[in-house]
Amino acid sequence: MKALVLLAALVPVSAQWLQYPTPGIPRTPDGKPNLSAPAPKTADGKPDLSGIWNAPEDKYFRDLTTGGPPAPMLPWAEKLFKERKENLEKGHPSERCLGHGVTDYDTLGTLRRIVQTPQMIAFLYEGYNHYRQIFMDGRPLPETTQPSYMGYSIGRWEGDTLVVETNGLNDEGWLDMDGHPQTESTHITERFRRRDFGHMDLQLIIDDPKAYTKTWSANVPLVYAPDEELIEAICENEKDLPHMVGK
Amino acid sequence: MGILRSILSCVILLWTFVPASAQWLHLTTPGIPRTPDGKANLTAPAPKTADGKPDLSGIWAGTDDKYFRDLTTGGPPAPMLPWAEALFKARKENLEKGHPSERCIGHGVTDYDSQVSLRRVLQTPGIIGILFEGYNHYRQIFLDGRALPTPTQPSYMGYSIGRWEGDTLVVETNGLNDQGWLDMEGHPQTETTHITERFRRRDFGHIDLQLTIDDPKAYTKPWSANVHWGYRPDEELIEAICENEKDLQHMVGK
Repeated sequence: MKALVLLAALVPVSAQWLQYPTPGIPRTPDGKPNLSAPAPKTADGKPDLSGIWNAPEDKYFRDLTTGGPPAPMLPWAEKLFKERKENLEKGHPSERCLGHGVTDYDTLGTLRRIVQTPQMIAFLYEGYNHYRQIFMDGRPLPETTQPSYMGYSIGRWEGDTLVVETNGLNDEGWLDMDGHPQTESTHITERFRRRDFGHMDLQLIIDDPKAYTKTWSANVPLVYAPDEELIEAICENEKDLPHMVGK
Repeated sequence: MGILRSILSCVILLWTFVPASAQWLHLTTPGIPRTPDGKANLTAPAPKTADGKPDLSGIWAGTDDKYFRDLTTGGPPAPMLPWAEALFKARKENLEKGHPSERCIGHGVTDYDSQVSLRRVLQTPGIIGILFEGYNHYRQIFLDGRALPTPTQPSYMGYSIGRWEGDTLVVETNGLNDQGWLDMEGHPQTETTHITERFRRRDFGHIDLQLTIDDPKAYTKPWSANVHWGYRPDEELIEAICENEKDLQHMVGK
């Protein structure tokens, strides 16, 4: 089972193939990256989140509520969650190469690069070679017409915190591998705060009256990954699926 | 043959994965030049970044499907070595069956370049990202002065570095695998294929892109193609994640 989960989560063996030292990052006298140096700023004075990051704690990827109270699920959602978990997570979209969504890419223990411009922030995920766009140009969230795995995301700065709101999700994605449900009315708020050069605190807030009795949240730490590069990890269909087992 | 052609057309439409409409949001792209009647002014001057380089940012699309089908369209045949010519002919005669896109693997440098679906160029001084609507895939081009690496892990998208030559962005790519096809009809690429792309934003609405293919293992000499991108105002990328097994069963060969 463990081996299957690794396959499903599409983790490359090593992302250090190029051994290219990341240019322009703070280093200690011995040449090691200084992960506790101050967080950098952009030319316009905003925190600069650019660079390659990882989520070191697989446990939130498995279950967003790890370490906290259970999610306040409505009965139908709780039943579905239990079925998915008891069925060893079989049926997650990733087993059909469809990848992940906002919360499970956020918590996935593979690399992602943030490319930041004043008008847009993009996340480039190593997994599945997928990307995500966050519009920073002040537009409002749209009326949802075409639900999708990644939804539609807008961001704004609240002091040093990047606040991202997402709607337009479909009901096919799972919030985590154990299977907390999302629906077309799920609204996700992410609060990214780069505490210092090497650490970003991410709070995820889930609001969906169709699946949960009240708003709930999870706190996921992200760490900077120096001297690494993203590897192409395009999912080849049908190579994982025959190995998936349920109950 | 007429029926076969119709089926094939359907198949190709599915295969090239162009969403029916990318205008679902009816968004007005902010900050672009417009004529007095409010239409995007595509012949306005090309914008520059704060550091004086041409700014290629925005949503673009290949303007002509013919190069996606065959990169050599309108020019002489590619100077293929005999094995490459035999493979190209076999792929073309087999109605392009076997292209990685039919298994949801997507495209590579030259076939994303020539595809008519939308892509967003996101430009920063150190890196340019290209976000493709098709397959929700992206590509990275490093502009921080690093050299091309010795390829150790061949891939569909390869490894790309860029530099500015005047107003032209010159991108060099190596590290490609031999599984990708340069175009839908199947010009072969190998692990030694080296691609040079020269992007020149002629004015606000137009990019001229010259592609040069150099690969002594497949071609007798370097060859090139000129493709064109048009700026797509007031549009957005739609999520287009390829669902496996939905296309594959419709694919026909000979």
